[in-house]
Amino acid sequence: MSKPRSAWWPSALAFVASVAGLVFAALSTWDYAQHLDRQIHDVHCSFIPGMPAEKAAENACKVAMYSPYAAILRDRYWGGVPIALFAVGAFAFFTAFSAYALLGGWQRPRRAAQFLAAISLTPVAASAVMAFLSATRLGHFCKTCVGIYASSALLAGAAIAMVLVEGREIRLALAATRTDAPRTGPSGVPATIVDLALDETPPPRAPGGWLLVPTWLTVLALCAATPVLVYASAMPSYASHVNACGKLESPKETTGALLRVTPAGATQPATLFVDPLCPTCKALHQRLVAEGMYDGLDTTLVLFPLDNECNWMLDRAVHPGSCMVSKAVICADSKARSVLEWAYDNQEKLLGLAKGGDLPGARAMVKARFPEVDACIDAKETNQRLIRMLRFIVKNHLPVSTPQIYLGETRLCDEDTDMGLPYAMGKLAPGLVAAK
Amino acid sequence: MKGAGVVGVVIGCALLAASAIAVQGQVADASERLKKGPDPNAAKPAIAVADDAELAYCTPAFKQVLQRTLNACGLIGQDARRGCQPADVKTLAAISDEDFNALFTPLKDRGAVIQFDDGSDKLDDDGKKIIEELWQDRRGARYFFIVARASKTGGADLNRALSHKRANSVLFDLTDKFHDPDLDKQVGLLWLGNEFAQLGPEYCQWNISRKGKPCTAEAINRSAFVSWVDCQL
Repeated sequence: MSKPRSAWWPSALAFVASVAGLVFAALSTWDYAQHLDRQIHDVHCSFIPGMPAEKAAENACKVAMYSPYAAILRDRYWGGVPIALFAVGAFAFFTAFSAYALLGGWQRPRRAAQFLAAISLTPVAASAVMAFLSATRLGHFCKTCVGIYASSALLAGAAIAMVLVEGREIRLALAATRTDAPRTGPSGVPATIVDLALDETPPPRAPGGWLLVPTWLTVLALCAATPVLVYASAMPSYASHVNACGKLESPKETTGALLRVTPAGATQPATLFVDPLCPTCKALHQRLVAEGMYDGLDTTLVLFPLDNECNWMLDRAVHPGSCMVSKAVICADSKARSVLEWAYDNQEKLLGLAKGGDLPGARAMVKARFPEVDACIDAKETNQRLIRMLRFIVKNHLPVSTPQIYLGETRLCDEDTDMGLPYAMGKLAPGLVAAK
Repeated sequence: MKGAGVVGVVIGCALLAASAIAVQGQVADASERLKKGPDPNAAKPAIAVADDAELAYCTPAFKQVLQRTLNACGLIGQDARRGCQPADVKTLAAISDEDFNALFTPLKDRGAVIQFDDGSDKLDDDGKKIIEELWQDRRGARYFFIVARASKTGGADLNRALSHKRANSVLFDLTDKFHDPDLDKQVGLLWLGNEFAQLGPEYCQWNISRKGKPCTAEAINRSAFVSWVDCQL
């Protein structure tokens, strides 16, 4: 009996897919771990593994990394435990398993391919969920994440192909056994040991013992858990960092200039300094909303337009048009949140118009959406209220930068406004996180 | 078959060990950087702190007079006195009448000259209106100055007292109208009587409260010049 050959390409494809998935997951984890120092770093964002990190401040991978969907246990660990870490362990297992499948050839038990095909649907399912969230919640597809999705799909495809090819091979082998196998000798005499030894028909692939599957599952679980446990155990303590960014010196404002945004059930006092045309303010607002925290904040809203049209602290406009939009927010008063969120949603267009010198165009956009505030924008009282907000900022000696958020009177550090947000909120406003 | 299994186990163990070591190393490196803080040599964008306005007219000479006046006239520090009288101003400013007035020239459009009747410290409606409008047009200014004068008519003592009353009239009007608890820390009073820094008739071209009425050298000095001052100290 000759040694039969099995189709090698599905195993090889599974191996390649696993290696690619491992590289993408490792890069994603590396980017995440880099940020544990609370500083700003470049992020890898390419379909080609190993390409240098991108300097773009807000690339899609950074958006994904800062999103609530990038990690778990985010209120327990600063930044949480990145989902990609599970992928690192899982793809390490799949790499080893597909190498085994590739080298095992015909002697590999049938259960190996069946197991790989079944279990490889797990990363596919996880990828499908993450892709759905990327499309519907983030509006961006991070290239590194897409690399993981593609690797998962390729792995599953290869594993399924492995099962199908094996099935075909087994069927062919069985058919050959039925038609060609020398059950009797050439003269009708029953086959001897020698005849059977000369038989070239391959025997059917062995199914493998039932214990294999739970064993492989256990190993997979161990592989997936190991990097996670190492990561969590190696993390530093952030307790002393999150409340080290100062306090509001003079939280009381006596002229009633500041706006209040108090959703029903909001309990945590917060003071938020924002510029409606500042992209970072928009990102923070979206994160607070996505984390389910915004509605728990009894917010004192202070508009801080970085626009020298009304703000004397600047010699040029960082966000031209933001004085006008800030006045619109002030005019909306009890509906300030609606105008602010609209401004965030239309930020690029408003900024584009104002930067191009078409401030009347930006004003027309505001008027078209909120005609009731149009006359109020030009009122002297509105300007005075905005000036009083800016005076409040001067009185508190705040940095000329947005956004700034104070929980009670304690400032949430800028470093904690993205990945570390749930953790820092948990420390500074435990009730808010517990009530989520 | 056994060989393939061994190879698989070896690859798995190697990858898992490498992953664990890499993860541990990355987190440990980040911990170390966290402990050290940001590189002090790295170029870090300086972030300004919110402050009062500082416009071009805030020359060193202007700010020197401003600082001395604020120190001596009760706005800065714990001094119980409020305001400065002619002798103080002369000493503090240590400059001539003309130079003193010239310091305020950049405030021509920012401020206003509030005029009074002869021998009176009573504000008229036009005067009150301008004072209130100016007060509300604070922008980034830190201090509001009231520089009151009196005309040459009458003796020095009488005019010193009269200019003091005129300065107080403006201050009381602001207090009554706006109830600002920080007002004392914002308003600087100077009363010059008729002894120092008299205004010339050219000041009739400034923003005066009695537009359309005769403006003589005497009339322009029966006044209080009021303005926010957009200077940091």
